[in-house]
Amino acid sequence: MNCRECAEHLYEYLDRELTPELERELRAHLDECPPCGEHHDFEALFLKFVRARCRAQGAPPELRRRILRELFEE
Amino acid sequence: MPAPTPPAPVDEKRASFEREALVHLDSLYRVAQRLTGNAADADDLVQETMLKAYRSWDQYTKGTNAKGWLLTILRNSFINEYRRRTRHPESVDIDAIEPFAVFQDVQEEDPQGAFFDRIVDDEVLRAIDTLPETFRETVVLSDVEGLSYQEIARILKVPVGTVKSRLFRARQMLQRKLYDYAVGMGYIKGSKP
Repeated sequence: MNCRECAEHLYEYLDRELTPELERELRAHLDECPPCGEHHDFEALFLKFVRARCRAQGAPPELRRRILRELFEE
Repeated sequence: MPAPTPPAPVDEKRASFEREALVHLDSLYRVAQRLTGNAADADDLVQETMLKAYRSWDQYTKGTNAKGWLLTILRNSFINEYRRRTRHPESVDIDAIEPFAVFQDVQEEDPQGAFFDRIVDDEVLRAIDTLPETFRETVVLSDVEGLSYQEIARILKVPVGTVKSRLFRARQMLQRKLYDYAVGMGYIKGSKP
């Protein structure tokens, strides 16, 4: 696998969506190519960051109460 | 000894709905917020989704993918009833959008992406909200809610390959927006004027 192919499949690799064979090839490339390794770390951090920033908020308690009332108290 | 009385069907329905559907309320709410863009519509959309889901609970095969099933109902309701009066669907020529790799710009200055740490929650949500709808929903289902490509494809009714390419571009666009913001705030110098 070369650097271009690695960049192309990087997200699929991080999302665990590659076939086992491609996954092995990509991992082997990352091990031997430090710049792609850095790119991998950067994208992994970005995805972790987005998830952490966006999951703080849940449904407001009032909405939960409203729904429970609506569903079960009729 | 008398046999234990079997639970009434209604109780059973309620119990399984609480166990399998209501546990996803936070996820539904987060997705609804990003789709509608405001709290009041998000509330209504989630409530409506739960009501519809409860009414058709018999059609759901228990123990399968309740989250995907609920999100499908939510998205269909959004398209049919909310989108018309909230946001207008943008038509995006996806192929016309050049993917930018932010990493190339920060490689020298901040390859570890430390500037991300300085960007607060609200700013990230705002950046997501400015993405075109097709990208926004894909990013939210994947990066916020952690669904697989296959699950997203099923909800959005598009091929898996489309999910893949949308996700690629959506992430690059989001990165670019956050990067520009970070440069504007002086969190990072940036390589371009």
